[in-house]
Amino acid sequence: MKKYNKKARVTAIVIISLFVIVSGAMFSLNSFIIGDIAGAVGGAFIAITILAFAIFTFIRGMRDIKGGFPLKDERSNKVLEMASSRAFFVSLYILLAIGFLSDDIIKFEDVSQATGIAVGIMAILFAGFWAYYNRKEL
Amino acid sequence: MRTRIKEFRAKYNLTQEDLARKVGVRRETILFLEKGKYNPSLKLAHDVAKALKTTIEELFIF
Repeated sequence: MKKYNKKARVTAIVIISLFVIVSGAMFSLNSFIIGDIAGAVGGAFIAITILAFAIFTFIRGMRDIKGGFPLKDERSNKVLEMASSRAFFVSLYILLAIGFLSDDIIKFEDVSQATGIAVGIMAILFAGFWAYYNRKEL
Repeated sequence: MRTRIKEFRAKYNLTQEDLARKVGVRRETILFLEKGKYNPSLKLAHDVAKALKTTIEELFIF
């Protein structure tokens, strides 16, 4: 992978993360304005988690580019593959549970709130599984 | 799985970073290979063995 391609990749990750962070912050602010404290805290938590992950990815990526290392190799691809597949399957069950409980136990304002929370859970699950598989024997 | 990567690295006075650059992988991959916590593909095993001027059989002990 050429050096400018690596930089473009890291920049793309940061830009996409910024969009998600801004969306999370807006969701949090909107929830705070309408008096939904749980939604505000949840949105802020998701935005902060993704911000931390984006900063970590950016610093790590730039350090690797400067050091002359590839951004990804067969092991990192394997970690990514396992983390994303596990996050996908676990989030299916969580989505099912959210759908099942949404009428009685969990009260959502609207569909977009439920979707936002589900996407946030998926992102956090992915980060968690990535951290787990990155340390595990593969 | 055990490996003799560390031993061969020391023989040729290579750091993990040097070996990673030679093979074209991330430093963590070399670290996990050395610890025996990653089972590499045949191509990676071949590349590491070639970089350390040895054979796969000498390097990886199953």
